[in-house]
Amino acid sequence: MSVIDIEDLSFAYDSDPVLENINLHVQKRDFLAIIGPNGGGKSTLLKLILGLLKSKKGTIKVFGKAPSKNLSLIGYVPQNTNVNTDFPIKVIEVVLMGHVGNKNPLFGYGKDEIACAMGALSQVGMQAFAQSKIGSLSGGQRQRVMIARALCAHPKVLILDEPTSSIDIKGQKEIYELLKLLNQSITIIVVSHDISVILEYANKAAHVNKQLSFHDISDKKKTFHTHDNTGHFCEIELLQMLGAVECSSCDASDTSTSSVTNTNNNSLSEPVEGKSKWRETK
Amino acid sequence: MIEALQFGFIQHALLAGILVSFAAGVIGSLIVVNRMVFLAGGIAHSSYGGIGLAVFFGLPIFLGASIFAVGAAVLLAFLTMYKRHRIDTFIGLIWAVGMAIGVIFVDLTPGYNVDMMSYLFGSILAVSSADLYFMGILLGVILFVITFWYRDILAVSYDSEYAALRGVNVKFFYTLILILSALTVVVAIKVVGLILVIAMLTIPVYIAEKLSNSLLGMMFLSGLIAAIFTLIGLWFSYTYNLTSGASIILVSAALLGVFLLFYRGK
Repeated sequence: MSVIDIEDLSFAYDSDPVLENINLHVQKRDFLAIIGPNGGGKSTLLKLILGLLKSKKGTIKVFGKAPSKNLSLIGYVPQNTNVNTDFPIKVIEVVLMGHVGNKNPLFGYGKDEIACAMGALSQVGMQAFAQSKIGSLSGGQRQRVMIARALCAHPKVLILDEPTSSIDIKGQKEIYELLKLLNQSITIIVVSHDISVILEYANKAAHVNKQLSFHDISDKKKTFHTHDNTGHFCEIELLQMLGAVECSSCDASDTSTSSVTNTNNNSLSEPVEGKSKWRETK
Repeated sequence: MIEALQFGFIQHALLAGILVSFAAGVIGSLIVVNRMVFLAGGIAHSSYGGIGLAVFFGLPIFLGASIFAVGAAVLLAFLTMYKRHRIDTFIGLIWAVGMAIGVIFVDLTPGYNVDMMSYLFGSILAVSSADLYFMGILLGVILFVITFWYRDILAVSYDSEYAALRGVNVKFFYTLILILSALTVVVAIKVVGLILVIAMLTIPVYIAEKLSNSLLGMMFLSGLIAAIFTLIGLWFSYTYNLTSGASIILVSAALLGVFLLFYRGK
């Protein structure tokens, strides 16, 4: 069964559509990078997947059900973990929030819940900080705690919104290495501006700018690394995909071999529309 | 000073100060961590409308103020959920309209010449036994709610979006916190008055936040600090014959200044 199935989804806050005709299918153990310009609808798409927003047109299924019915299978790591750093709360208490939906009133948590939270903390290498105040941690450490909080509820898919936006380069790499490790057992979806995710870690990429373009990039990683010009993928194209850099040098040569479609089921070898598509979606 | 303790009204004042301090410490902590200080200010001031209505219809003041303040709290909770981007406008509106209603209804009450200043700035030396029961019951309700729903309230306060994803009814707890704030404001009217209450809900909490590493610890430390400030303020008020509410607030502010001077933490 697919982890997430989105079909013909459109969404608008007011009258202007933010997302149009989105189709996306995420498979088990995928590492999907959702990229695209600011205001392109990435966060909106995420909120729809999480059931925080309801679409008027199209369907979203998470493990075959409406998102709100399967919330317990989704682990979510929010974008900005630097807010509320004055909040008097210990790391372990933040992680225990992963259990908050379980009905067990009266303050204090069950022994099993605490053991589970400590397990999640050691999974992200933060068990030594369990009793620290959350505000005393660095941005990267706090991000790990948020990942532990999500893991605490034993999700089948982990969704992260800009997980490295406030972290230095070293911390970023550590976070992605951690995600790679977690990806051995669970599906990962990352919203990011960071092209290195796509190059190094993700096996699927979805560019969202009102419309969605889906790419299987699992086979191309080596090509990126070696900058092998004989390969069939242009790195600049990838940057264009991010909307960051205009490509002029590889315009002509790569159009016939790049794989860009508006649907989810393109294969790499399939010669299709080419880069003009990128431009259209920008 | 010691001989003053044999007077019944002084005993009432001290007990009221302590009860209200702990209620304000617990609820003030929730108000501060949820960034609802302005909301609480709006509710506090609008409760004057309830006082005016109670005077006009001859109802108990606490009852009128409670109903009106809770109504304002529910209205503001609703507006926060559905008109989030204009919430400061609505707070200002409810703040002023509530007070205006109070003033007009006091005007309309024939022959009423009780000093309305006591509601604005407190009248802790006029606490009755019934007031004490009301304060005690409210503190009991607050402690029960906190104990029963601590993890939900903690999750909603720290990260409401995440709490919603984990199936916590965020709107319910948000409204609950505002209703408890409204009731706390009403009991604090006796001690510091509805204009000064916002300082009692924030100054001890600000100090406690720096010294605590859990919300629970912060609540009880806030209550303790508020109680100490209140007792010192009352002593000043009694010794120098000053208004009690204003004395408590200025003592709190002065001690906050001392704390900040010596506190070299984060």
